[in-house]
Amino acid sequence: MTVHTAAPEVRIRDLTVVYKTPAGELPAVRGVDLTLAPGTITGVVGESGSGKSTLALSLLNAVQPPGRIAAGSVEIDGLGDVLTLWGEDLRRARGRQVGYVFQAAQNSLNPLKTIGKQLLDLGRSHDVADLRALVRDAKDLLARMGMDGARVLDSYQHELSGGMRQRVGIMLALVLNAKVVVLDEPTTALDMITQATILRIIREVHEERALTTLVITHDVGAVAEVADSLAVMYGGRVVEHGPVTEVLGNARHPYTQGLIRAIPRLSGDLSLARALPGRPPTLGTLPGQGCVFRERCERRMEVCETDDPLPVNRDGRMVACHAADRHLTLVERKEFV
Amino acid sequence: MTVIVNPEGAISPEAAPAGTTRATLRRNFWRGVWRVLRRKPSRMAGVVIVALFALMGVVGPLLYPAQLPRDDNALYAPPSLAHPFGTDFEGTDVLALVVTGARYVLLTGLATAVITVALGTLIGLVAGFHRGRWDTLLMRLTDMNLAIPGLPLLLVLSTVWKFESPLEMGLVLGVLGWGGVARAVRSQTLSLRERGFIEAARGLGLSTTHIIGRELLPSMAPYIAMNMLIAVTGAVYAQVGLFFLGVLPFESNNWGVMLNLAVFNGGALTTPAALPYLLAPLIAILLLTLGIVLIVDAMDEIFNPRLREE
Amino acid sequence: MITGIGITKTFRQRGGVLGAREVPALRGVDFAIDKGGAVSFIGESGSGKTTLGRIIAGLETHDGGEIVIDGVPMSSLRHRRRQPYFRRIQLIHQDPYSALNPTRTIHQTLEAPLRLRARQTGRSRSWADARAGELLSMVGLDPGYVLPRYPHQLSGGMRQRVVIARALTMDPEVLVADEAVSMIDVSLRLGILALLKDLRERLGVGVLFITHDIATARYIGDDGELYVLYRGQVVERGPTEKIIADPVHPYTQSLLSAIPVLHGLERPGAERVVPLETQREATPGPGCLFAPRCPFATERCERETPALSRDGQTEHACFHPQRRSVIPVGVGE
Repeated sequence: MTVHTAAPEVRIRDLTVVYKTPAGELPAVRGVDLTLAPGTITGVVGESGSGKSTLALSLLNAVQPPGRIAAGSVEIDGLGDVLTLWGEDLRRARGRQVGYVFQAAQNSLNPLKTIGKQLLDLGRSHDVADLRALVRDAKDLLARMGMDGARVLDSYQHELSGGMRQRVGIMLALVLNAKVVVLDEPTTALDMITQATILRIIREVHEERALTTLVITHDVGAVAEVADSLAVMYGGRVVEHGPVTEVLGNARHPYTQGLIRAIPRLSGDLSLARALPGRPPTLGTLPGQGCVFRERCERRMEVCETDDPLPVNRDGRMVACHAADRHLTLVERKEFV
Repeated sequence: MTVIVNPEGAISPEAAPAGTTRATLRRNFWRGVWRVLRRKPSRMAGVVIVALFALMGVVGPLLYPAQLPRDDNALYAPPSLAHPFGTDFEGTDVLALVVTGARYVLLTGLATAVITVALGTLIGLVAGFHRGRWDTLLMRLTDMNLAIPGLPLLLVLSTVWKFESPLEMGLVLGVLGWGGVARAVRSQTLSLRERGFIEAARGLGLSTTHIIGRELLPSMAPYIAMNMLIAVTGAVYAQVGLFFLGVLPFESNNWGVMLNLAVFNGGALTTPAALPYLLAPLIAILLLTLGIVLIVDAMDEIFNPRLREE
Repeated sequence: MITGIGITKTFRQRGGVLGAREVPALRGVDFAIDKGGAVSFIGESGSGKTTLGRIIAGLETHDGGEIVIDGVPMSSLRHRRRQPYFRRIQLIHQDPYSALNPTRTIHQTLEAPLRLRARQTGRSRSWADARAGELLSMVGLDPGYVLPRYPHQLSGGMRQRVVIARALTMDPEVLVADEAVSMIDVSLRLGILALLKDLRERLGVGVLFITHDIATARYIGDDGELYVLYRGQVVERGPTEKIIADPVHPYTQSLLSAIPVLHGLERPGAERVVPLETQREATPGPGCLFAPRCPFATERCERETPALSRDGQTEHACFHPQRRSVIPVGVGE
């Protein structure tokens, strides 16, 4: 088992995930194209209802009913299209090739079993021949993250702090040598200092093990600290994607611009900061046609009502907005609740 | 930017869905209930079954003469058009017995359920909300209630008490049976009282009556309603069982007595003649239970506004 | 005006065989909240900030010290007589999803406290009904839309505004906002913070803002005062802007250093402080509580307990206070 092979590339193409509701099947993720370059950390930022968690689950082909992957493909180097896998193959791919750290890892651990027991369960279900080596790897990983491996493996989840559980979650995702790692809200509900520590650990482990990492979060700050590239999701669409410093330093999509303006910061003029008007869409309130963001957009134009803006790629960045490069007549913005 | 609103929303009918009055809320509630029931055919079936039994209980005895006619020529007659479930040992129509017997069974069930749930909820709520000394006292009481061996006690009681009225029967079964509900309601209360909205109500200085009656109780409504329905079935089984055992006075148009007579006098377990006589009350009990179970399934959606409106 | 003097609180946890374990949550905290002022308590979980907020809102008792509301020491009053004082301090819960009763419409939720308020102040029922709409408008909601709805039909941000409107029904002097924006969508957080600021300015309501995210404290008012709590003690306090720009306590510096840098817009501070990771508990007895995690701790910090002492505009409890540039700098600056 070699640890340091090359990081795989992940290509999400035209992914659409729908949820069954009384009002018919509604898309939580619609026509998403996203490439995770090998060996990079990609951050996906979005608010509630943006479809970011659904996107993350799609990487494992783990969308649960009433959800359904309606179209698209998720190609991972060395594994093929995840969406065509099923049964045993799919189960083996989860964990072996794609590691997943669940939202608030604190709740995804079994409270009745020690961490060590859960580790062995994981090993057995993936037919690991040498369980001793598995435990050794786990201890190494935990030590790498600044913890006493032997002690942690003997603990129950309630004996660990939030930050420690998050690290256990990362260990369980990596111990089978997965090369693609998905972290869903890795720092939510953690204190600031713990959050900083976890972000540092994610970055370091990512580099040491040559991973391809996807971080899903609502917190732009957390992504800014850790990611190489940043994808911004809104209403099931990726509206902007590019290198993190460029997307933050020179945002092109009005939603990204608004989101950045709405982040409480330690320095800078207080009067420039303000919240976005309106509220994030839910499945039921997504517009049927046109741009998903137009309701809250201050640069709305007539074309936004009818045409969904196509993603435009330029200088290594993608933006899906009619107004991003043009300065046409602006429709006056409505006031919202 | 102060907006003057007419909170009753009555004057301008177009003023959005300003339905905030009690009457509107009630109307919306019942509309919601109807929607929830229509969502699954099984629920409608349950409602129909229970409604049929209710009807039977109310008008059943009025349909037949006080003394049901006997036909000495047709003892244990097989099912026929005149007697769909045959006749009993003295030639009385079995269907008529089941129909007229429904009132006693249902009234007992209802009385038991009301008493069980009222006592259990009250004790559980007070214990859970006040905690401390009240809690200790009431929970010891509950323990005692749970420790009472119901059947032996009923056997003893039946030697001195004839349970002629279904309400007396219901009272006894209810007083014996509230322990479980009290425990469950208490644990629900304990978890609910830590919720933000209960704490907010206390912080606002709202009265304990308001908090218990208006904030806690509605949140537990589905739970209480379920318990109530299930208590009905429990009570039906309990009293039919008692009559079946023959510890209570003989009265021919009672489902339990019918079972008893069919088994011990008619030999329904060995000879086929009395089989319809045995099956009729059994089917009635089964149907009633089925109807209730089918309705229980809707309770969560009925009392949760989110699930109700969807 | 609310002041606290030497507030202490110890929780008893049920431990193993040997019985209760005592966990000190507050170890003698002084504070003062002026009418219409903005005070922020900053700290990690376990700092005692939430406990202190709940004590101030009258939802929790304290073991030692004194709370004085409008010159009246609360210990001099019987339980019942304290209620009217604590009613002037309303808590806004962290979680707008559990803070509203899911089985009651917003109208019902506001009606109950308003009727009570009407009785207390000798007003009529129709006042209470009109006031519900007024309060919702005040927090930026459309009463016609919100009143007949159930909580589940509103977004998180709208719910939090309803929670604030409900707190305002009692005409409070102070709102205690405990992590009031942490569960709100990012794009809407500043809206809630701006509302709190607006209520301060328009109604003269004081705001006690409790948070682990020091950056948000700036947004309820730049005239505010900041208390940094660590394990039940105030380690640094002073004007919000001053503490954020010029912290001297290593713990405050650690908190500020931990705030993510928006690469592309900001550069990290040159002297970011990363606290030590240690499982070691601070030894009971004397010694600075932060010493086990402090990168700058000396032998003295282990031996003696630093007291809160004034230093210019601010106060701090540290033997080795030193200015360090820890907060990010804008790229353009």
